[in-house]
Amino acid sequence: MPLLKIDDLEIEVKNGTTVLEAALENGIDIPYYCYHPALEIVGSCRMCLVQVEGMPKLQVSCNTFVGEVPPERKVDGNFDMVVQTQNDLVIQERKNILEFLLLNHPLDCPVCDQAGECYLQDYSFKFGNAHSRFDEDKRVRPNEYLGSQIVINHNRCILCSRCTRFTREISGTSELFVDERGYSSKIAALEDRPLNNLLAGNVADICPVGALLSTDYVHKNRIWNLQKKSSVCQDCSVGCNIDAFYQKRKIFRLNPRENQDVNGYFMCDIGRYGFHRFEDLERVTRPLFKSNGIFSEISWDTAIEKIGDKFNGAEEKVAGVLSPFHTNETNFMLGRLIKGIIGTFPHIEDEEITYPSGFRISSDRSPNKRGMHDVCPSIVDDLASEINDKEIRVIYILDNEIDKEIDETWNKILTKMDFIVVQAYAMTRLAKSAHLILPGLAPFEREGTITNDQGRVQWLRSVLPNNGESRPDWEILNLLYKTGERFSDINELMKGMGEQFPSYSGMTFFKLGDQGLPLNGNLKT
Amino acid sequence: MATIIKSYEPTFWDKLYIPALVQGLLVTFKHLLRKKVTIQYPEEKLIPPEGYRGLHRLNKDANGRIKCVACDMCSAACPADCIDIIPGSSPWDDGKERYPVSFEIDLLKCIFCGFCEMACPEEAIELTEIYDFSDYTREKLIIDKDGLLDVYDKTKDKNYYSNSQNLTIKE
Ligand code: SF4
Ligand code: SF4
Ligand code: SF4
Ligand code: SF4
Ligand code: FES
Repeated sequence: MPLLKIDDLEIEVKNGTTVLEAALENGIDIPYYCYHPALEIVGSCRMCLVQVEGMPKLQVSCNTFVGEVPPERKVDGNFDMVVQTQNDLVIQERKNILEFLLLNHPLDCPVCDQAGECYLQDYSFKFGNAHSRFDEDKRVRPNEYLGSQIVINHNRCILCSRCTRFTREISGTSELFVDERGYSSKIAALEDRPLNNLLAGNVADICPVGALLSTDYVHKNRIWNLQKKSSVCQDCSVGCNIDAFYQKRKIFRLNPRENQDVNGYFMCDIGRYGFHRFEDLERVTRPLFKSNGIFSEISWDTAIEKIGDKFNGAEEKVAGVLSPFHTNETNFMLGRLIKGIIGTFPHIEDEEITYPSGFRISSDRSPNKRGMHDVCPSIVDDLASEINDKEIRVIYILDNEIDKEIDETWNKILTKMDFIVVQAYAMTRLAKSAHLILPGLAPFEREGTITNDQGRVQWLRSVLPNNGESRPDWEILNLLYKTGERFSDINELMKGMGEQFPSYSGMTFFKLGDQGLPLNGNLKT
Repeated sequence: MATIIKSYEPTFWDKLYIPALVQGLLVTFKHLLRKKVTIQYPEEKLIPPEGYRGLHRLNKDANGRIKCVACDMCSAACPADCIDIIPGSSPWDDGKERYPVSFEIDLLKCIFCGFCEMACPEEAIELTEIYDFSDYTREKLIIDKDGLLDVYDKTKDKNYYSNSQNLTIKE
C-alpha cells in the first residue's frame, strides 16, 4: 500500500485513493466545492489545491491519486507522495481562488437561505480576504425557476457543476446543463424538460452555496434556529435515513442523511415534502367516547375499562387491524393482545421507480409492511371475509394513512360492528367511525423500530414532542394487558419481541444506532 | 489577626450638638440658592444624552418600507433571547426578497445592551432615546412590528422629548 505523507501525518492508503479523500478521512481539512463523494470528479472549482512535492504547480487534491511508485522515485526514500496542505503558497492560493469566486457573488448572506451552512461563507471566513478589490459592477441576473420546486439564484452560483452532474449521474434525467461559456456561463434546464423529477430536491442540498433553493424552505427560517434529529423517512418501504430540522412543534425541512446500505446520500421528494400532510390536522389529544353520535372526552382509566369489558364480553370474537405504518413494537403488542383474528387493510401500492444510480422508490408506500408481517405471522390474508364468516362484532384498529378512504366492503363491516376502537392521532375518516378513540402519536412523534423491504431494522426516532394526553402507541396497548403481562419499558418490549422472533433478538436502541442493522440471519444479499 | 476598634468617645464640644446642627443647615441654605438639579417628572422630561439605549425601533427606507430583511442576526446576537422573527418572502418585487412577517421584542426580557443594533447588517434596528414605556401587563410590553415602526416615526426627527405631544401622560 502506498505511503502518503500529508503535512505531518504519515498514512498508508489504498492504491488509487485521492489526496482529498485521504485527507478528509484523517481529519485534515481541505476546502472543496465541486467534489462530492457520490458524483464523478471534475476538478473544476480549484478550491482544493495542495502542494505535492516534486510537482511544479499546485495540484487539485480531489483529482490527484495516490499510487505506489518505484523505490528510486520515493520521496525521502520512503514516501510515495508528500503533500502540503497548510503552507503559505497553498493558503495564498486559497485566498486567490476565493477572490475569484466572490467577484460576482452578491454579499447577500443576510437574505440567503444557505447562510449558516454555506461552504462559501465558511471558507471565506476561514481562508478569504476581508475586503474585495473588485470595483466594477457585479453581474446581476434575475432568479429563475428550474422546476416547480427549485429556484436558482444565478448570482450566487459558483459553477461547481454538482447539480448538472447529479441530474446526469444520479437521477439520469439530465435536465440541467451549463449554458453558454466563460463569463456568460450559467446553469439552465432544458426548455422542454424542467427539473421536475422525484429526486429534484437533492440538488438544493448538494449545491454548496445558496444558488439552488427549494421553494418549500425559501425564507422560512434560519438554520441556527432549528434543531436537528436523525430519523427515518416513513413514506415508502425503502426507509431513507433523514435529518429532521424542527423548531418548537414544527418541522421545517427534511434532509437526507448518509447511509450507504439504504439510500446513499439522497432521498426522494415524496419523502422530503411528505411531512406537510401531518401539519394542521385536527388532532386527537384525549380519549374520546361516542354516545348518540357525539364524541366526548373521557379519562384514560375509563377508556381502558370500557375496552376491557367489551373484550371480555366478546371473548374470541375480536378482530385486530394492524398497520404497516406503525412500528414493530406497536404491531407486536396488538398481535399478541388479540385472541381472535388479526389482519390489515388492503395495501397502498404505487409505482416503483428505480434510477440509474440504483436509488429506488418502493412501490410499497408504507414504511413497515415487512416488519409487521415478521412480528405478527398470524395475519390473515382477507380480513374482511374472515370477519364476516366469524361474525365478529368488536374490532380494534390501528389507524392507517391520514387520507385513507374507507371502501364499500369495509364501510359495511364497520356499520355492523358493536364496538370499534381506533387508535389514532387525528380525526381521520376511520377515527370518525369509531365508538372509542385512543390518542396515539403522529408519525414524527413515534419511536421504535421499523423494518424496510430489504430486511434492515432501523430505529425511528421521535422528532416532535407528544401532544396533550396522547401516549406512545405501544404504551396504550400495554395498558390493555393484565398487570402481570405488561412491559415496563420499550427495551423490555424489544427483548420480549426478540425472544419470540429470533431474527429480532438482541436488538437495542444503542445497537441499532443511526444506521440500523440487517435482520439476524436474514442479511441483505 | 483581629483588629481592635476603639469606640468613639464624644468630647464636650461634640456633646453640645449645636455646632453640628449649624453646619448641616449651612449646606441646606447654600443649596436653596443654587440652580435645581431635579426635574418635575413626568410633567417635565429628561432628555437623554446621544447614544442612550432605550426602546427599539425598526427603521424604514427611502420608500417608507421596512428596512429589516429578517436575517435573524439580531436575535442570534441577543443575549436575552427576546427577539422573535417570522421571516417570509416580501410582497415587493423590486429587489428586496425577504422581510419579517412578524417581528416581536419582549421588552421585559431585554437588557438594552444594544447588541441587536450592532449585529444588524441593514441598519434596520436601533435603540432610541425613549425610556418611559412602562405598562400594566406583560403582554403589552411585547412590542410588535407595527409598534416598532411607529417608534421610528416618532423618533426619526430626534425630538421625541422636546415634542410637546409626547409629553402628555399615558392613561
Ligand atoms: S447551482 Fe449550485 S450546485 Fe449548481 S453549479 Fe451553481 S453552485 Fe454548483
Ligand atoms: S425513497 Fe421512500 S423512504 Fe426514501 S425518501 Fe423517498 S419516500 Fe422516503
Ligand atoms: S438590546 Fe440587547 S437584550 Fe435587548 S433586544 Fe437588543 S440584543 Fe436583545
Ligand atoms: S439584524 Fe437587522 S435586518 Fe436582520 S432581522 Fe434583525 S433587524 Fe432585521
Ligand atoms: S474540489 Fe477539487 S477542484 Fe473542486
